[in-house]
Amino acid sequence: MIIMFVQDESDEVQHGKFSRRTVLLGAAQVLGLGAATARLYQLQVLDQSSYAKLSEQNRNTVQMLAPLRGQIVDRFGTVLAANTDQFQAVLVRSLAPDMGGVLRDLSMLIPLSRQTQDRIIRRALRQSPNLPVMITRDLNWEQFAQINLRAPRLPGIQTRKAGRRQYFHGDAVGLVVGYVGAVQRFALDDDPLLRLPGMSVGKSGVERAMEKRLRGVGGRKRLEVDAHGRIIREQDKTQPEAGRDVVLTIDTQLQRRVMQRLASEKRAAAVVIDVVTGEVVVMASVPSFDPQQIAKGITSPQWRKLRRRRGDPFINRAIAGQYPPGSTFKLVTALAALEAGLVKLDEKVQCPGHYTLAGHKFRCWRRAGHGAVDLHRALRESCDVYFYDMANRLGIRAIGAMAKRLGFAQSYDMGIAAQARGLIPDPEWKFGRFNKSWYGGETILAGIGQGYVLATPLQMAVMVARVASGRRVQPTLLRPEQGTSVAEFQPLDIAPKWLQAVRGGLIGAVNEPGGTGRRARLPLGEALIAGKTGTSQVSRRSSRRSGARLAWKYRDHALFVGYFPADAPRYAVSVVVEHGGGGGSVAAPLMRDITGFLLEADPAARPAILAPASAKISAGPLAAPTIKPFTLAPGTGSTGSNGAGSDNSKS
Amino acid sequence: MKIERFLPQPLSEKIWRLNWLLLLSICALSATGVVALYSVADGSLAPWAERHAIRTLIGLALIIGIAMLPLRFWLAAAYPVYFLALALLLAVLFGGTQIMGARRWIAIGALSFQPSEIMKVALVLALARYYLGMDDARISRPLWVFVPLLVIAVPVVLVLKQPDLGTAAILASVGLGMMFLAGVSLWYFAAAGVAVAAAGPIIWANLHSYQQSRILTFLDPQRDPLGAGYHITQSKIALGSGGLYGKGFMQGTQSKLDFLPEKHTDFIFTMFAEEMGFIGSISLLALYALLFLVLAYMALSCRNQFSRLLIGGAWIGVFVYSLINIAMVTGLVPVVGVPLPLVSYGGTSMLTIMFGLGTAMCGYVHRYDRLRRSDLRIMI
Repeated sequence: MIIMFVQDESDEVQHGKFSRRTVLLGAAQVLGLGAATARLYQLQVLDQSSYAKLSEQNRNTVQMLAPLRGQIVDRFGTVLAANTDQFQAVLVRSLAPDMGGVLRDLSMLIPLSRQTQDRIIRRALRQSPNLPVMITRDLNWEQFAQINLRAPRLPGIQTRKAGRRQYFHGDAVGLVVGYVGAVQRFALDDDPLLRLPGMSVGKSGVERAMEKRLRGVGGRKRLEVDAHGRIIREQDKTQPEAGRDVVLTIDTQLQRRVMQRLASEKRAAAVVIDVVTGEVVVMASVPSFDPQQIAKGITSPQWRKLRRRRGDPFINRAIAGQYPPGSTFKLVTALAALEAGLVKLDEKVQCPGHYTLAGHKFRCWRRAGHGAVDLHRALRESCDVYFYDMANRLGIRAIGAMAKRLGFAQSYDMGIAAQARGLIPDPEWKFGRFNKSWYGGETILAGIGQGYVLATPLQMAVMVARVASGRRVQPTLLRPEQGTSVAEFQPLDIAPKWLQAVRGGLIGAVNEPGGTGRRARLPLGEALIAGKTGTSQVSRRSSRRSGARLAWKYRDHALFVGYFPADAPRYAVSVVVEHGGGGGSVAAPLMRDITGFLLEADPAARPAILAPASAKISAGPLAAPTIKPFTLAPGTGSTGSNGAGSDNSKS
Repeated sequence: MKIERFLPQPLSEKIWRLNWLLLLSICALSATGVVALYSVADGSLAPWAERHAIRTLIGLALIIGIAMLPLRFWLAAAYPVYFLALALLLAVLFGGTQIMGARRWIAIGALSFQPSEIMKVALVLALARYYLGMDDARISRPLWVFVPLLVIAVPVVLVLKQPDLGTAAILASVGLGMMFLAGVSLWYFAAAGVAVAAAGPIIWANLHSYQQSRILTFLDPQRDPLGAGYHITQSKIALGSGGLYGKGFMQGTQSKLDFLPEKHTDFIFTMFAEEMGFIGSISLLALYALLFLVLAYMALSCRNQFSRLLIGGAWIGVFVYSLINIAMVTGLVPVVGVPLPLVSYGGTSMLTIMFGLGTAMCGYVHRYDRLRRSDLRIMI
């Protein structure tokens, strides 16, 4: 205890130093406060008269005028997002001598229960007398006119007009179109418009990606107001410049049919690309949500409930879902091997049901083995061992280079936000991520689209579109603008004979006996579907047990990529069913049905509209077909199971 | 000196050690806030004035509650709290709440908060803990200067990425101010000044376009009188037209006519000064001066470095907050969105300030505690 009384020398030293520094900092504070005082003296005393004058002039107030947000329409002009006027009635306490009376009078014009009236009065009494209280947000035009007409006899009641975003066909295209919401404080950019109360900006999907085009330019209104803020007169006005419309490449009706077909699965996505133009005709993802639900006004608990719904309906799986592409990736491996000259078309590889590398056994999906397989059969029957061997010959870098040429591991400037990039691994990536070196076995797995490889349904559709056309197809959701010319895509620079060989394998997979994609076949005579199944393994358990008995979340993803018609490709399709099971049994029938829908609708053959070049010509479908419509080869009959006809393709 | 001073004290005795003058000046500033908020709402307690008053009371209870905890509790909590705040900052940057778009906020259940606010208190705790019992010879050695610089720089960079220039500036100045108080050699500060002058152009290139525009507009408000320069011009007109005696309580025209943005939060000083005039505004400045003086006195009466630095951190923090806000509304620095402590309406900033003042009070209540570096080992 005694020791505690001894003078603590180190603290003395520290205390002394701290004191000196405190004095220094204190002096700085005195300077700071002095500067503030001097500044206030300058503003409030020295320059008082000039600011007082400015303050008087300030009674000329300037109001910003919000521009009309551009509409979003589909390729045929069907409106998907538009603006509607919302008519509101508000009560201003300071202008109402008798609130109860005026509300009773108002209840003759619009439905207004006693409880609501009481609630409005209570709220009005709780807050500042000049702040308006909302009576209703949903007046129809007639009610709005009635109230305005009787305004002199309804003191304290005011009407207002506010713009509101409205979404149509949200159940089908909600995830593509996205939605708007209030501006976050951090998101304020240079545009003073964003400071306008009630302004909203795109939060997801096309609404977000095309914000600049849709928003428009704000106008200004100069008003003269008196000291109480009442408007004396309007001085001048610059009209706001409305945002420009966005015309999507989507065919809403077709997309709805695809969504309805996908709805039988828990979580699934499908993409249809027009091979010639790169236009995305269908971008479907289930589960989905309707942005109109949010636009109508949503409370916090409702929002949370919506977000908690099973399967996360806010994710657009077509662009943000990342899946191992599985056997659909064999197109990449095949083309890489052919181009590098590492395999001949007729070269046969023995498949005993497994492949051995450095003591590890890699199994083929068919345990019994395929025997001797060449490229055509390997693609047709999806022989894993053949592609294990190709991958081993190629190495991961060659596979990766081809994958990137075919559109993997990139996002596209196509008019929609929140695209996932997917992943094409290489040794540097692995070292950076896990600090481990690359193993040969991982190359083997990458060769059949397993392991680290990830791709989005969009990327898989791009891949098959590029293989089908031999060109560098760039996907887009935006119809070209009026007056712009659309150039043809650059060639892929892969020798036609290699592409032809792979295409042959894809045709075989659907149409020849033994093909894995037989269930995608449509009895159409000459117009064939070409495609490739994929079954990507989610967990090791799935390799041991068969689908039905396995818990849902461990089941394999079912995939299919394909194009149609095989002899003159027009549509490229990719389908992913999360935990759907086998690609051949689950995804291939989806391909068949989607092709059936495509045959009926044939969106590429019907006249689509162009995006307006300026805001002035907003809305109104401007029919102008620019691209030569695709027509079925003569002699093709109507289809079987789906009853799809080709009549409307003649237009 | 009595022996009791060094023994764990009963609660009743700790109560008497509270600095009542600090509580009083907090009350005075908050009361000014209530008056101003009443006027902003056109003579109505709702929606701001009454809630501000209630929050002040809760805040005072919070200060006393925090002060009653043993100082060693805060000493032990210092680093964990700092790393927690750092983790939350990272979480908000990479995870965040993506759907609604905001990157500053993090949500846990129904509560949502800004990790950068926690960091303000956590940084003070961490630096005070770092300098506790460090002997004088070490303080200015490069390595021992580098560590606290890192402790400051990491959260500052994370907050800048959000992007939140105002909070980053406050974190940096509080951190550097504490290093200054702790006794780091003045040469470092001189060198830093030179370095900043040299690095200016690089920082400029990395600012967001809206931040650049705020600075450019600040230099020339007429550049965009209706856009980003709007705030500054309107605020100066309101202040200037207030004159010596002001337009009178609830008589402000600029603020009433909605020329002023965010007049209940960041621009509350303008609105108060317009109505109360130069007399009112320097009276408010005097109240702040009192608060700073009390805090400086509190720091100097402590017998351990941890207490001193806790109070010092709060002292600098409150000072920087108020000065940046006043400089901003008078057009001396660009608009950065910093509230006026204790006067501006806003639950988050109120909570942070009260928490910071609470730890300062805790340091003061335990001013005779002897904390040494050797204590740390026993504790942990």
